[in-house]
This record gives sequence, structure tokens and C-alpha cells, in this order.
Amino acid sequence: MILWIFALHGAAMVAAALLGRSSIRRGMAAAGVAPLVGAIWAISQLQGDNAPSTEEIVWVEQLELVLRFSTTPLALMMAALVSGIGVLVFVYGVGYFDDTAEGGARFSTTLLGFSASMLGLVLADSVWTLFIFWEFTSVTSFLLVGHKNTYPATQAAARRALMITGAGGLALLAGLLILADNVGSTSLSDLSPASGTRGTVAAVLIMVAAATKSAQFPFHVWLPGAMAAPTPVSAYLHSATMVKAGVFLVALAGPAFGDTVSWKVLGMAFGIASMMWGGFIALRHEDAKLILAWGTISQLGLIITVLSIGTGKAVFAGVSIILAHALFKAALFCVVGEIDVRTGTRNVSELGGLSRSMPIAFAVAVAASLSMAGAPPLLGFPAKEAAIEAVLGLEGLEQLIAGIGIFGGSVLTVAYTTRFLYLVFGPGPETTVAPVRWAMTIPSAILAMAGFAGYVFIGWVNDIVIPAATQVNPASDKYELIAWPGLKTAFVISMAIIAAGLALGWVIANRTQEAPDARGANVADRTLDNVLILADEVAGRVQHGSLPVYLVTMILTVTLAGTIFLGDLDTNGWVAWDSPFQAILSATIAIAAIGGVAVGSRLGAALTLGAVGVAMAGLFLTHGAPDLALTQLLVETIVVVGFVLGLGHLHRRFPPVEPTWRMIRLFVAIAGGLVVSGGLLAASARPVGQAPVEALQEGSVDPGGGNNVVNVILTDMRALDTLGEVVVLGAVTLGILALASTRSTASNR
Amino acid sequence: MIEIHSPTARRGVEVATPLALLLGTYLLFAGHNNPGGGFAAGLVFGCVVALRSMTGLLKASGSFVLIAVGILIVTAVAFSPLLWGDVLLDMQIVETKLPILGKVKSGSAFVFDIGVTAIVVGLVVALLNGLGSTPRPRETDNS
Amino acid sequence: MSVSLALAIGTLTGVGLYLITARSLSRIVLGFSLLGHAAVLALLTAGGPPGEAPLADKTTPELTANPVPQALALTAIVISFGLTLFLLALARRQQILSGNDLVEDDLEDQRIAVRAEEVDLLDDQQSDETQQAPGVSS
Repeated sequence: MILWIFALHGAAMVAAALLGRSSIRRGMAAAGVAPLVGAIWAISQLQGDNAPSTEEIVWVEQLELVLRFSTTPLALMMAALVSGIGVLVFVYGVGYFDDTAEGGARFSTTLLGFSASMLGLVLADSVWTLFIFWEFTSVTSFLLVGHKNTYPATQAAARRALMITGAGGLALLAGLLILADNVGSTSLSDLSPASGTRGTVAAVLIMVAAATKSAQFPFHVWLPGAMAAPTPVSAYLHSATMVKAGVFLVALAGPAFGDTVSWKVLGMAFGIASMMWGGFIALRHEDAKLILAWGTISQLGLIITVLSIGTGKAVFAGVSIILAHALFKAALFCVVGEIDVRTGTRNVSELGGLSRSMPIAFAVAVAASLSMAGAPPLLGFPAKEAAIEAVLGLEGLEQLIAGIGIFGGSVLTVAYTTRFLYLVFGPGPETTVAPVRWAMTIPSAILAMAGFAGYVFIGWVNDIVIPAATQVNPASDKYELIAWPGLKTAFVISMAIIAAGLALGWVIANRTQEAPDARGANVADRTLDNVLILADEVAGRVQHGSLPVYLVTMILTVTLAGTIFLGDLDTNGWVAWDSPFQAILSATIAIAAIGGVAVGSRLGAALTLGAVGVAMAGLFLTHGAPDLALTQLLVETIVVVGFVLGLGHLHRRFPPVEPTWRMIRLFVAIAGGLVVSGGLLAASARPVGQAPVEALQEGSVDPGGGNNVVNVILTDMRALDTLGEVVVLGAVTLGILALASTRSTASNR
Repeated sequence: MIEIHSPTARRGVEVATPLALLLGTYLLFAGHNNPGGGFAAGLVFGCVVALRSMTGLLKASGSFVLIAVGILIVTAVAFSPLLWGDVLLDMQIVETKLPILGKVKSGSAFVFDIGVTAIVVGLVVALLNGLGSTPRPRETDNS
Repeated sequence: MSVSLALAIGTLTGVGLYLITARSLSRIVLGFSLLGHAAVLALLTAGGPPGEAPLADKTTPELTANPVPQALALTAIVISFGLTLFLLALARRQQILSGNDLVEDDLEDQRIAVRAEEVDLLDDQQSDETQQAPGVSS
């Protein structure tokens, strides 16, 4: 079934590409069909106690290169979120875009491609599958962020997003490989606790990967820039799904690293830093979308923190917040997009009084904001409550750090939420508003309603969340979301957070302030620019274009590498020559070859080459290879003819060479020759296996039908090689003919 | 083309030609039992072509036809065993008696060698045509 | 392998390397040819000591040279023969086009070097401006 759903996504992508050509809205509508089916499937699977089922496509079994998907509870919960929010976003897109919007086919296809990739990521059950879909989401995110591809700021933002998430992808691959190697299986369901140095390295790599994807400080710099994307993209990728991939990864790797100290420390550091910094910056921005983006950074920090604390209660809280956050953040983005479309701005200082002119949007925003602030009667409340309970269950320093972090982060969250609501919908000069677009309003309303329904039907949510959390930490099955806990410590803390946040938000909202600059993003951009400049400079120096220098570099490298063979040199057992003829012929070859260099005229050089060839033929004869000798003689004749023909038109003498360069070449050549000689002598000291001469002779006579073993090998035993060799000769002939025939046109230039 | 205008050389080549052709043919047949083979035979024939065209006795041409025929022959030999269910390049052996060479045990390997010979001769002809012909001189000091 | 053979192969390699690093294509062709000789000789002699020709009806297995490297070397000779002829045709064409047979520096590569210098210049001009105008969208 999973594979069919992917096939459906593929088909819908084709349909979206065709329909989106005429109008982006038709493309979005066509694309929405696939996530609709996906959502229905995922939700139906969530009902009842289905055992996880696995589907796979095997590519290379020996290397465990398989696409494997599994319907674990956590995967199904994420799949339902991805596809469910996907449907709403596609519907929302129908309202968001005008018919005149450009790049409809590209946009709707890419967005659906992202949806499919994300579905693959959450359902993946092998490290390869996970990694591939992880990279797919990075690439589709890059394309979607850069959708308005003519603006330099958009280009920079897309590049930044790709670079950071792409680098994270590499860290993920390395971490997963270490982990899989440790377990001896590439299946994600087989992950077992990793320990030791390898475990630590893998933990750090995977946590860094998660932090890049989930925009955790200091890797968060790509997320605010990604708001350059159309709002459906921000609502889908950068709040509800793609940034959740990092969080999902932390949950997925929980069973492997739950006890690893570095995992926990790093995760809490990322999480708390992001929670604080994100909330702090969100308080200062004027652009509503940026407020939400920085809020997302903060909220993801909260999830990462509780997930990496890793106790049963904390994991349970983390998984609950994933669910709640996806619903309310997508709803808020949808509202902001609607405001943007209907008023023409999303700058909160220019907006005001929208509670009267956009009542439905106002209601949706209030509901979603309450959920985000962790107030009843919405799903965010019990989830936040669970997080506070989890912190209360900790001890000592861990409790202190996590407590301060979560308390501070939550106060900031309530504060920026208050400010956002107050500035956009509160008193002020009423902004003129375009008529309502139901395709935008209804999806955001559904999302907000879902947060409310989740609170009312909390048992149903528990049925989803408890198995998912138990998959990460078996101790989570003891906990459940409680709609109304009564006056317990956690509740009091919750109320204190809300009160403090309201006060802070109120104060900030009434102050005029300057929007923060994008220092982090600038640093990232400049770093990237400098890397590219460095690459240019290195390439400019190294890739200078001179073929001889390239060759000298390569020869020198190989020569240096070859010197390791010289260690085996041992003068014992050296034979000066096998026969006097061999000695004479070897000397002839050496003298003729050197003479060929010394001779200044081209024809002289060609003739000395011929002499070398003839001496080679003699050596072949002394070695017992008459076939080689015969062939060598004949080949040499033709080659000399070729040289005479080819070089006859050139200057008689070679052009002069610069002395220093000549000395370098001479040095490299001598070193290369010495290493070859030494290496051969060292290698020949090793025992040589007995040649199967007898078997070859028999085989040559009987099935081969010939006495000349060499030729039978060539025409019978290795006939396929000979066939290839003949084809090479044919190709050479064609090449020579082609080079000769293009002459007239080329010289007429 | 570099041409040798000496009448002595031309005469020598004329005399040597039949001997060389005989040698090449011998090599072609000898290959399976003695040193020789299609490649060596092709090179000998190639030398004949080269010498004759250098002395102006022959205008070499048709290299494309030669390699086309050669490649056709070798691929036919290579793939024909598949037709009667044998493996690729399986060589058939036939025993025949020939006037000079006596009993010859050969077969499809021999046909294969003929193809190789044709290709090698084609290569030499292409070499003579491609490298030999003089283009219109562009810079007089280099020609 | 005897020392004289090893030295012959080393000399062939050294001279070949010296020639292929030249700028003149005809020297490069000569160099390739010599390197081919060196490789064939190394291949042949690596297969074992000299012996009698591997003709099944004229020798006994004990005295025979190893035929397998001979067959491999034969292929190697043929391929390097083809390569040499092809390089000669290239040299000839170069001579027809440019009047000599010198290998010129690669144009694309030179462009990269030029671009690196240009980026340096641009960078110096821009460094002041970027500090004054932080990115607005992010």
C-alpha cells in the first residue's frame, strides 16, 4: 500500500505539471489529491492496534541497498501530519495564488514532490531510505524557497537553506553509517544503544544533522530567510513538516542514544539556546511571518530539549508537542498569509483592528495562539503541561538547567504571541481588507479546530501519542495527556508562565523598537561567499591550464607513492642478466631511448624509436615469445612510416625548451624511472606462482585446435578481449579518417 | 604524401610485393600452430600498401570499406554461435588438407583472423590517407 | 627479473615520462610509444623467466615460457599501436590548424584563473557597501 501511495504521488506530480501550466490553482488542486489519499490511509492505519507492516523494494541485496518502509506508530503519526496538513496546504494554495501567478507547474509539482519526500522520510525503515528522502526534502525545500527566482535576496536565502541543510545531510549520512555498522544492520528498527567513541561520534553527527534541519541555534540562520518562499511553503515546510524532520530524527535515534551523555548535553544545548534566542528575536520583529519563523525556532528548541532529556515523561511530552505544534503553527502561518493577501502587508506596525474586518481569521489566530502559549482549552495546554511535569521529574543540575530553559522559553513564547495578536488584531487604525477567500480561510480554520478537537477528544490523541512515544522510550507508556489536571504544581507553573508572558508581551507591544538585523544570515552568506572565492583562487592556481605541469604533478605524486615499494629491495638473489643477448639488447634499448631524447631532429627521434622497437623484438625472442617479436617488428615498421608521414611536414627540429623547466622534467623523469626499476626488482623478489603451462597447452590443442598457445588464447580463450581490441582498431581508423576529413573546413576558418 | 622517386626503389618494391603477399598469406594460415596470425598478416599487407603507395605504384583508398567488412566479419563470427545455441565466440574447428601447408586444422578462428586482417589493412590505409596527404599550405615556413 | 631488464624498463619509463611532459605533440607521441614498450616489457617479464616458445607440438611444458602474459602483451602492443597512430593523426591536425604541433594551455582553465583575479577586485570594492546594507528579508 505504501508503494502505491508513492506511485499515486508520482502520477499526481505529472498531473500537477500538466494542469499547473495553464494555472497554478489547477495545479495545486490536482496535486492535493495525492496527500488526501495519503492522509486517509495514515489515519485509517492509526485506528486500532495494527502491528507495524513493512514494504520494500530491493535493489542490491548484498549491500542492503533497499528502499524499505515501515508503519511504526511514530511514523504513522508523522505521516498523518505530513499528508493531512499537506491536503489543507494545497487547498490553501488554491486560494493564496492568483491565476496570473507564474511558474504554476514548477511550484505545484515541487511542493507535491516535497510532500512525497517527507512521507518517505517519516516512513523510512532503512538508513539509506531515510538519508535519500532527507536529501530530497532539502533539495525540494531549496527549490521552493527560491521559487521567486529572480530576486537576489530569494536566491541568497535558497542557497543558504540548501548549504546548511545539505551539510547536515552529510553529517547524517556519516552518523547513520557508523550506527548501522555498529548494529550490523541498516534497518532503523534494529537500532540498539551505541556506546564508546563511535557511539559518541555518531551521536554528535546525528544531533548536528537534526539541528541543521530543525533550524537550531546556530544553524537557524537559514529559516528566517526561507520566509522568502510563498506562504503555503512556509506553512507546510517551515513550520509543520520539514523542520520537524530534525525533531523526528532525534526521536527516531532516541533508542540508540538515550543513554549517551554527549547526545543529551548537545541536544539540550541546541534546544535551550534556540528556545531563548528564537523567542527573544521573535519579540523584536515587525514582519508577522518572521515573528512566526523565529517562534518556530524557539518551539523546535523546546521539542529537541525534551526529546534529548529522554526520560519516559519527557519523550512523551516531546511527541505530544510535535503534534500540537504542527497544528497551531500551520494555522498561524495560514492566517498570516491570508492577511498578507487581503491587506497587502504583513508588517505588524502597519496592521491593526483586523479583529473586526477579518473575524474568522481572528478566531483562528486566537485559538492557535492559545495553543501555542499553552493555554486551555487547546491541545497545546496538556502538551506543555506534560513538558513541565517532565522537568519536575528530573533531579539536580539537569532539572535546574532544563527548568530555567523551558520556563524562560515559554514566557518568551507567550510574550511574542501576545504581541503578535495585539498588534495585528488589537486597537489601531483599521486596515482596508479585500474580500474573503474561502479556500484560504477554511483550511486554517480546520487546523485551528483540530487543536481544539484534540483537547476535547483527548483520549483519541492519547491513542496516537502514547504508542508513538513508547516506540522512542518504552517508559513512556505510563503517561497520558490530561485535559484538566487540577491545581497541581505544573498547572501553577503554567499559569505563572502565561501571566509573565502576557505582561512582557503587553509591555513590548506598546514600545516602538527597531527590527533586528540579519547578522547571522549575513555571516552565513559571507562565509559561503568566501568559500567560493577561496575555491576560485585555489582552482585558479592549481588549474592553470598547462598540460605539462599537470603531468609533472601527477607523475611526481605517483612516484612518491611508489617509493613505498622500494622498502622491499634486497640485493640478494639479483641476477645481472638471464642471457648475454638479453644484456646487450637491454643496453641497446636504453641507449637508443636516451639517444632519442638527445637527437634534436624529429626524423632522427622517430628512427631511434624504430631502433628501440627492433631491440624490443629481439628481447621478445630471447624471452621465448616469437609472436610478440613478429608483431613488434611489423608494428614498428608501420609506426615509423606513420611518424615519417605525420612529422614530415613539421619543422625538422624540435622547438627549444626553457632550461629550468627542462631540469624539472629531467628530475621527475629520472625519479620516475628509478622508482619503476626499483619497484620491479623489489616485486620480482617475491615468489611467482607456477604458470599453468601444461593445462594451457593441452587446452590449446584439444578444444582450441592449435599448437600456438598464445594465438589460441587470443582467438579462443580470450576471444572476447580480442574482439574488443579489434573494435578499438576500428575506432582508431574512424578517428584518423575523421581527423583527416575535417581538415578542409577547419583550415578555411 | 612523402614520395620516393628513385626508380631503383620502385623496382625493388615491385619485386618484393609478391614475396610479401605470400608471407602475409602464410602468416594468416600459420597463426594457429606457428607464430603469425591475422594481426601480423594484416601488418604485412599494410606494409605492402604503404611501400607501394609511397613509390607511387598504388593509390591507397577504401579504408572505410575495409574496416566495415572486417568488423562485420569478426562480429558475425562472434555472434553466429548464438544462432545454433552455443556460447558467444565459440570457435568451430574444421580439418582440411591444403596443397602447400599440408593438413590444416582450423575453423571459424581463421575467418575471425581474416576480419582482423581487413581491419588492420584498413587502418594502415587510413593512416596513409590521413597523415600523408598535403593540405593547402597556410604558413609557408612550416611546410 | 634480471637487473638489466629492470634497468631497461626503468630507462624506457624515464625517457617516456620526460617526453610526455614536453610541449611538442610529436615528442609526446614518442613518449607514449616508449611508455607502451616499458609496460609491455614489464608485463611480459612479470610472468616468469624466459623459456621456449609456447608451441604445444615443439616443446615440453617444463621448459616453456608462460604464454598468458604473452597473450596479454600482444594485446597491449596492438592497443598502443592504435593509440600511437591516433596521436599522430592528432598531432598532424594540430599542425594543420596552427602551423606547429605545440600543446597550448587550456582556455577554460585559464578563464578560471582570470575569474579568480576578478573576484578579488570586486571583493575589495564591495566590502564597504555590504557592511552598511544588511539583508532586509531575513
